[in-house]
Amino acid sequence: MTLYLLIYFIIIMGAVVAVISKKLINSAIMLALLSIGVSILLFAYNAPWAAVFELSVCAGLITVLFVSAVSLVKHDEENIKENRVKYVLLPLLLIGFIISASIIVPEYFSKLQIFSTYNTQKEEPIGKLIWLYRGVDIIGQLTLLASSVFVIKHIFFKRKEADNGGKI
Amino acid sequence: MVTDFLSYSLIPLCSALAIPFISRKSRRITEILANVTLLSGLINVGYIILHYIIKMDYSSFTFDAFTLLMIFTIYLVGLAVVFFSTYYEVENDTNSNSYYSLILISVSAMCSLVMSRDFFTLYIFMEAISVCSFALITSSNSKNSIEASIKYFFLTFPASVLIIFGISILMLNYGSFDFDTIKFTNINFLTVIALSMIIIGFLIKSGIAPFHFWTPDVYQGSYSPISAYLAGIVTKIGGIYAIIKISQILYNSGATYKISALLLFTGMLSVLIGAFGAMVQKDFKRMLAYSSISQMGYIILATATFSPLGIFAAVFHLVNHATFKTVLFLNSACVEKNTGTTNMEELKGLEKKMPYTSWTSVIALLSTAGVPPLSGFWSKVLIIIALWQSGNKYYAVIALIASILTLAYFMIMQKKVFFGKLSEKLTEVKEAKFQLLIPVITISIIIILSGIFFNRVYFYLEKIIM
Repeated sequence: MTLYLLIYFIIIMGAVVAVISKKLINSAIMLALLSIGVSILLFAYNAPWAAVFELSVCAGLITVLFVSAVSLVKHDEENIKENRVKYVLLPLLLIGFIISASIIVPEYFSKLQIFSTYNTQKEEPIGKLIWLYRGVDIIGQLTLLASSVFVIKHIFFKRKEADNGGKI
Repeated sequence: MVTDFLSYSLIPLCSALAIPFISRKSRRITEILANVTLLSGLINVGYIILHYIIKMDYSSFTFDAFTLLMIFTIYLVGLAVVFFSTYYEVENDTNSNSYYSLILISVSAMCSLVMSRDFFTLYIFMEAISVCSFALITSSNSKNSIEASIKYFFLTFPASVLIIFGISILMLNYGSFDFDTIKFTNINFLTVIALSMIIIGFLIKSGIAPFHFWTPDVYQGSYSPISAYLAGIVTKIGGIYAIIKISQILYNSGATYKISALLLFTGMLSVLIGAFGAMVQKDFKRMLAYSSISQMGYIILATATFSPLGIFAAVFHLVNHATFKTVLFLNSACVEKNTGTTNMEELKGLEKKMPYTSWTSVIALLSTAGVPPLSGFWSKVLIIIALWQSGNKYYAVIALIASILTLAYFMIMQKKVFFGKLSEKLTEVKEAKFQLLIPVITISIIIILSGIFFNRVYFYLEKIIM
């Protein structure tokens, strides 16, 4: 239980600092820390595949994308000072949250543990399981990917047009 | 997910992905591809539905009637908007490739959404629809459209957070997202909380009062055909559809009265705020937006009865509202294009110059107000009967009175914009292009026919609740 409490603490700290941090790079790193915490939690609760995806995609790929994007944006971030004095109340809130969460949450997580073993008990490869149970999600993923590509194209096309004084 | 109709969502998706590759040089090829994709789908699904409606023989009917009807409506409004956009061309400022691709992806996502049989799939496609709409709102390069899209973003994406929270509570409670699992399990306190969160999320997405603040700004600020698309179908499939689905799941369980009270109140609030709001508007599109809020309230009222008749009425009013609101918004786009304004104070007597636009508006508004024999009359009568039968008699009376208010504000609009003496500034105005009138006239004919032949439509709608 103490291990879980520690992980919860890391996750919440990561989330809070990611939001209040004024430097984008710090936010990105804290987000990665949060993802690592979540993936450890997923490992602990017997959901290894979800944990691997979380670690590789959220903690790995997304962080690399964020860090490279932040370093591409030329911004005089050096002048911005991290000033968190006004957030002194947050640790107190955090403690309150952790105490209440440690009372309420574990019951549901133990329930989740049952659900996670529900499918893995059948000795089938994960690929087959995903294909059988969530095959339609491929269309969903494809739709989301396609829409995001076209959204970027649609919005940035205009930016280019506006920069050139209305001419493409 | 219902896989019978998978091609209706896959074909637009493939067309959308193909557009950037095959139509780099010519805008015309993009437009042809988008129109042909949606037209072929509409003919296909229209044939299946009309075949049964005309013959009235349902012995060989094995499809999911609700899903099929929704796909038909999506394709109808999608095609009307795409065809209209092809000839609209106010200023050549939209990126045609991504504009048509986004509409096609959105159509595909909506079809997948109505085919989904679990909350998580529903959520994924709803997000895809929201993302596409967010980009489509910015299609005209004006400041208003950017402002509208930012408003849309900040008010509807928190709704997604609520929905995903609700879905995770359902997961904690049942270990499943399936509609069927939830349907046959005893409903407890956590389920009510989860479903309430999901419902509130979808109410925000569909712009129901008291969460309606984004709708007038978005409909007014966005590119005109996109206003028709959003009001016509997106807010319904991306919002109301899920609520009707939840109502369908729950109507035999004991938890309904708790959610029913919440929905009845928001529905009534929406009907009244929409009706009174529409009366005081000076902008044509803004008035239509408030009218949309009011009509969505009716659908919520019918859904809140959690009875088969209520669901029947809600589905029919949803389809009707999609048709007449598309006509009204496309007409407002024609008026905006030809006169350069949507301010009702500056418009007067357009009936002499734009007769087709004027009379199709009259058909649509009479149907909205519930005048027989148009299709809107039947759905409103059914809503009021459903409310009365379920014991919500006060709500039934208010719905009836609000229906008269609807007629009043539309008459005010019609008098200001189309009837009366022609304004001197508008003497040079001409009727909209014939091509722009085709979708409007076609949908008007559908409104009239589905009202006159309601007995045939009734047997089809009966399949939804059986």
